[in-house]
This record gives sequence, C-alpha cells and structure tokens, in this order.
Amino acid sequence: MKKKVTLTVNGEEHEIEIEANRLLLQVLRDTLGLTGTKEGCSIGVCGACSVIIDGRVVSSCLTLAAACAGKKIETIEGLAEDGRLHPLQQAFIEYGGFQCGICTPGQIMAAKSLLDENPKPTEDEVKEWMSGNLCRCTGYYKILEAVMAVVNNKIDPDFAFRKREQTAKIQSLDVYKSVAKTN
Amino acid sequence: MDYFEPKSLDEALSLLAKHGHEAKVIAGGTDVMVDIKYKEEPGCLVNIKKISGLGGIQENGGSLRIGSLATIRDVETSSLVRDKLPVLWESAHQFASLQIRNTATIGGNICRASPSGETLAPLLVLEAKGKLAFSEGEKTEPFMSFFQGPGKTSLGTKGLLTEIDVPFPAEGSRGVYLKHAVRGAMDIAMVGVAVLITPDAARNTLQDVRIGLGAVAPTPIRASKTEALLRGKSLTVALLKEAAAMAAAESSPISDQRSSGEYRRWIVEALTRRGLEQTWKAATGKEVA
Repeated sequence: MKKKVTLTVNGEEHEIEIEANRLLLQVLRDTLGLTGTKEGCSIGVCGACSVIIDGRVVSSCLTLAAACAGKKIETIEGLAEDGRLHPLQQAFIEYGGFQCGICTPGQIMAAKSLLDENPKPTEDEVKEWMSGNLCRCTGYYKILEAVMAVVNNKIDPDFAFRKREQTAKIQSLDVYKSVAKTN
Repeated sequence: MDYFEPKSLDEALSLLAKHGHEAKVIAGGTDVMVDIKYKEEPGCLVNIKKISGLGGIQENGGSLRIGSLATIRDVETSSLVRDKLPVLWESAHQFASLQIRNTATIGGNICRASPSGETLAPLLVLEAKGKLAFSEGEKTEPFMSFFQGPGKTSLGTKGLLTEIDVPFPAEGSRGVYLKHAVRGAMDIAMVGVAVLITPDAARNTLQDVRIGLGAVAPTPIRASKTEALLRGKSLTVALLKEAAAMAAAESSPISDQRSSGEYRRWIVEALTRRGLEQTWKAATGKEVA
C-alpha cells in the first residue's frame, strides 16, 4: 500500500509517495538523496542514524517514514549555513573528533539536540547524553573535547570560513600556481 | 503491508477486531521495527501514536496516571516520577539510549511483555494497574496478572493498554532498581531487581517488602516466598543471606547468549542482597546487624 506523505526536512517540504514499511533512514538516503545520515547497526543500538525529529534525537533506522508526516526533521545536511559550518562541525574538524566518519553525523546531531536544550552542559552531562552514539575510532575523548569546545565558546566558524576563503584566494593567484608547479 | 493511523481509540479497536492476528500494534516502534526487519512483516500495522489523550503524566489522588503513549523519556524527565516513584524513574533512566528513550513508549515496553522489559519489575513492586480497552468495554487489571508469557498479555490481539495507574508507595518506604548488564548504555538487562520496603513506625522491622525480578523467568515476577520470609522481621545479616538465596531459588532463568542461567541466579542473589541492604539503610537509618 503506497502512501502520499509530506516530509519537512531541514525546513524544506518534500511530497513523496512511499510504501508503508519504508524507514525514515531509507527515505532520507535513497529517495531524497540526503546521504549524510548513515546506517550502522540498523537495530537502534549504535546511534549512527541519529536525526532530530521535533527537537528530539531519535534513530532513523527504527522510524517509519510515513509516521513522520507533519513533523520537523533535522539532518546533518541542514547544519551549515552559507558555506559556514555549524560550530559543532567546525569543532569536530579542529579537535579531530572523527576518523572514519561513519558515526560523525549521528554524533553531531546528538550533540546538537543537547546544546539546543542545554547550551552549557557539563562534561558528565555530555557523556551521559551521548552514550547512545558508538564510535569505534576515536576513543570518544576527542568527540567530548570537540563538544566541550563549542560549550566553552572556543569555536569560531566565521573565522574558519574567512580562513578558507583567504586560502582559496591565495591559491587562485597565478604566482601561487607557478610556485606550486615548480615545487 | 497495510498501514493505518487511527485517530480514536474506537477506530483502533475496530481495526484490531477486523484484522485479528494479521494486525500489529505500533507506537514508538523500537521493538516492532526490528521484528519487521529481521523476523516477519505483519499483514498490517496499526499506528496508535495519533490517538489523542493517551499520553501525559498526571497526579491523580494517591497515584500517578501515566498515559500508555508517554515516552520513556517523558517518564525519565517527569519530576513527579522522580520524586514519588524513584524505582520507576531509575528503570527509565537506565533504559537503552537517549535515542530509544525519546521514541519508545511505556505502554510499548509493557505490552511487549519481554521478561527483561526494563520498567516491568518496578511496576510489579509498585503494584501498578493497567487500564485495558476492548471493543466490548474497559477493564482495569493489576500487572501482577497481566503478563502471561514472553510477548503474551491479557490484551490478546484485540485489546489496547490505554493508561497505567501507579499508586504512590507508603510514607517512609524506600525503593531501588538494580540492573546488571555488560554495558552501561544500550544494553538489555541480564537481571533486573526492584526492591521496595516499608518499615514499621518505629523503623525496627519490615512492615512490607516487595521484590520484583526481571529477565529471570518467562515473565517478570515477584519473589513472593522471599517477601513472606522477610515480612514483619528485622533485617539481620543471617536473614539477608537467607532471603537473597531464596530469591535466587524463586527465579527460573534461561541460558542464552547474554549469560547462563546459573550466572543469572548468582546475580539475582547478589542484587537482592544489595537492594535489601540499600533500602533497609535508607528507610531505617540503620546498618544490617
């Protein structure tokens, strides 16, 4: 039985026709092409597929897409604005909060839902909140450091953006290209 | 697979009556979706989340009324639950992960009737009751008789749990929920033990003792022989030892990939002892002599 539903993802409305058994994870990735959300365990115990629905972080691998009609869905793709990364994204880069990257979108969405609710959590509160997000690479400390860097206002995505712009400008100059070639 | 989102209880009940065994009720879906993926897909899915009036947590005289669609996170973040029903709060707090607590409902945890269902041993010691709706009418049933086996309840295939009524424990009582699992987060209990005791007015003896055991029998159970042994007595080291061993004997755990039955019995003994010790100390201010 196909069902017509309207999903609101990162503020954008998508009208789609789907089978009732389709999962939100599958619809995000396969139907809408939003492949930032990853599939890990597929049974709700690893947190890789975490997205935020109506302000609450949930596992999209256990969520029926049809049941999400009328709800506000946030995914990792919705965080960056005008080329500026979300402070959490910038922090994960600066503090090395990931290696293979599979768990990262879920980690960041879980952290975002925490900071949306409580912008000044303690380290212990971060650890407890994010205990449903597994990472096999980092040993977690760098993830914790990255989140705490945002909490403690150590991240300036605007500065990083300007730095990237400046680098791109330098790299576009002929003199840079000629030097790069001779090296 | 057909999919329905009834807007009212009557509509949901008539769908269940019409589709019988073909129908599967889904609320949060954290168990049902795993079954659909790895076991089998039902003929139709009846999503009851859109029925209004089945959520919420309110004080109702001497008890707390919890709507069956309240999420585990709703239970965990309710100050009423935390203040008045710490045994239940502890089980909601130790429940899976935040992602699952945000989705799973307390009604789903109950109706799933898994022997290891996290909230069940606490609900048994709190002597909670469920309000059950059938197309023929409503009835109230204590959870003591509600669970009939793994996945089997008095609801059968035609009924719906609409609310949970949890009486506040007597003044001066103390409770604790202890869970044994390998990981802190996201792990199913190997053994869960809920203990609730009420001392007498002089705080010398156990006026009331309730011990609930999870994951060690086909349903969550009360260790009623152990409770009878303890009732009316003062908790001594010898009695504590005897009671813990008796609780282990009252359990009938299976061996599975999580642990052997023998190991589970040891854990029942250890957690019962710890639970009694902790609640005795908290309720009477005395050490076990």
